[in-house]
Amino acid sequence: MDPTQARATAFINHLLSNPALNNLNPLRKEQQILQFLKTNAQSLMPTLSSPQFFPGQSWNQILRLLYAALVQETDKVLQPQLEEWIRQKISFSFASQIQPHRIPEDQCSQQMWELVRRFLQKPEARKGLLGPVTAIANDFVGRYLEKCFDDRQYVHFELTKVQRLRLEIEDLKHMIHATLLLRPAIQLFSESGTGEGVESVLVQPQFAATALESMKEQLKIIPPELLRGGLYSNVSFEEDKQIDATARLSAIFSSRGKNYKPIARVDRGANTPDRSWFSITRRNYKYYGFDIKMLDEFYKIASESGW
Amino acid sequence: MNESKSTERRPFISFLESVVIAAILLVLVQTFLEDYAVLSGWNVGIRNKLLLAGFFFDLFFTIEFLIRFYYALMGRRVGRYLTLERGWIDFLASIPLLMFNSGPFALTLLTGSGIALGLGGILNLLKVIKAIRIARILRFLRIIKIFRRIKNVSSPMAQRHVASITAISVTVMVLCLLFFTFFSSTLKINGLDIAFSKQEAATADYLAENTDNPADFVLALETLKQTRTNILIVKYRGQTLFSRFSNDYYSQYFAPGDYSYLARDGLELFFDQRAYVSQLSRESILFFVIVVLVVLAYLLIYSPHFALTVTDPIHVMRRGLEETDYNLEVKVPARYQGDDVFELARLYNEKYLPLKDRTQNQDGESVIQLDLGDVSRILPEEQES
Repeated sequence: MDPTQARATAFINHLLSNPALNNLNPLRKEQQILQFLKTNAQSLMPTLSSPQFFPGQSWNQILRLLYAALVQETDKVLQPQLEEWIRQKISFSFASQIQPHRIPEDQCSQQMWELVRRFLQKPEARKGLLGPVTAIANDFVGRYLEKCFDDRQYVHFELTKVQRLRLEIEDLKHMIHATLLLRPAIQLFSESGTGEGVESVLVQPQFAATALESMKEQLKIIPPELLRGGLYSNVSFEEDKQIDATARLSAIFSSRGKNYKPIARVDRGANTPDRSWFSITRRNYKYYGFDIKMLDEFYKIASESGW
Repeated sequence: MNESKSTERRPFISFLESVVIAAILLVLVQTFLEDYAVLSGWNVGIRNKLLLAGFFFDLFFTIEFLIRFYYALMGRRVGRYLTLERGWIDFLASIPLLMFNSGPFALTLLTGSGIALGLGGILNLLKVIKAIRIARILRFLRIIKIFRRIKNVSSPMAQRHVASITAISVTVMVLCLLFFTFFSSTLKINGLDIAFSKQEAATADYLAENTDNPADFVLALETLKQTRTNILIVKYRGQTLFSRFSNDYYSQYFAPGDYSYLARDGLELFFDQRAYVSQLSRESILFFVIVVLVVLAYLLIYSPHFALTVTDPIHVMRRGLEETDYNLEVKVPARYQGDDVFELARLYNEKYLPLKDRTQNQDGESVIQLDLGDVSRILPEEQES
């Protein structure tokens, strides 16, 4: 390994091993370190540009070196996790049920994995994976979907009657997980930049429609319904009332995942994290483009379940 | 240098504070047992040991007060100590008790002389007994001291409020009782002590009137023996004419204060005061239970209520305002939603938090968990390699 690269890797590993980051998932650790480097550029520059580290390099060059090392180290942990989810945990048997023809599961998961690997190459899409990965890791979908199916209220109606998904709850969960992972696909159509603030950016329905057409051309195995869900989860429900329920759910759970912070103990006198989050998000639903009725239902579930 | 000395002293001071709390808890048990022993008729040996224990506790708290007072004096903060730091409780719950309650008793026990009885020659003995026993109520003030020691770091405000209201309640109760005790005759609130005193005086007068005629005297004494069961011993010109119990019994079951003494022209009478002392013990235990229950009620009922309706919502709002990534809502109980604090909390939940959330989303950055100091520590290692 190039000595400069080795030094960058060693420095990044030191940061990654910091106990303050222990409870975070790999993508959040990456985001934290990147933010730390950018915030403390002035303080770090004198030392990092010294002969012991990266002599004669500008801050941007150093940052690029460190970012490359950071991505490499994160991927060592993240990629096996994502691959395991896509190849083993998420069952793509639902794909054949939402399509008139049978879709081989292994081919579907293979194409999905290849697509996710493309996301990991692009900073914007990589950052966009944070919410979905956190949401899947914490099983938000499974927990809330079960309650929704017990209550058979709005969410259940939207999934089964409006979107007409005749799936078992387990298959539905897999479908929403897959939709969540496809959500950053919209970033493949954006200009490459710093990757900052992409999670909250909503796109116009026309942009999503164009992106969908392009994706359908590229990906012949992944069902178009699934692609549509992933891409349209980036469109505001205020802009398009026809957005699939799975897309609306993915948008909500991805945002919840992005804002999720593990709390050891909720303060006395405070509402629980999920209840607080859904309550706040209900008031900002137009801003985020969420379906208020879904948020209401999830708020009720979170309140009743003490989440 | 000074800082390191004070750091070294901190564990020792903390240890001493713990000893004081343990002593307060123990003295409350001792106070209860002292009265319970009277009601249960425990023998004098055990009761005397309890009285001596009370004396040593009072001595301990007197020393504690003097040390605190000395340091306050040295630090030129006597006024602050006596008022804001509740030094007045330290004082009332130590020196008066030592001087007027356990001190005289301990002196009587240790010297074997009847100090308390000696006072009977000057004052009405029953009033002395009552006054001495009532002074023990001051010990209950020590319960308040526990509040001062218990540090509830999450909410010093709740601690201060509950401690204040407890101090006010217990002090008012104690002072009311002391006031009524000392001014009962002025206020014409006569109790059992007056009735006992009058009866003893009447008995002594009646016997004294019959000393001229031996036959009448014997008859009167026989009648009183049967009808006045509180007469213990009757002596005439140094000779014991009647004793209800044996000397062993007296030594085993009569502690100082359990009997009274009257003299009339060569006639000496000893009266059994145990019924009266038992009554005082009953009152004392009742008062003890009231004080303990009031304190527990504040601690277990009012304190959580105060936390629920005042400090907890404020704590959550303070964290939300102070910490960038703290976005938990204040829990607003339906029955208190009209309270000012919860009106404020509602605004915090409905206006501030959504606004904060949008602002954070626009910034697109989360709180950095890493500290620059962590990196500074690893840089030298890198440089060495």
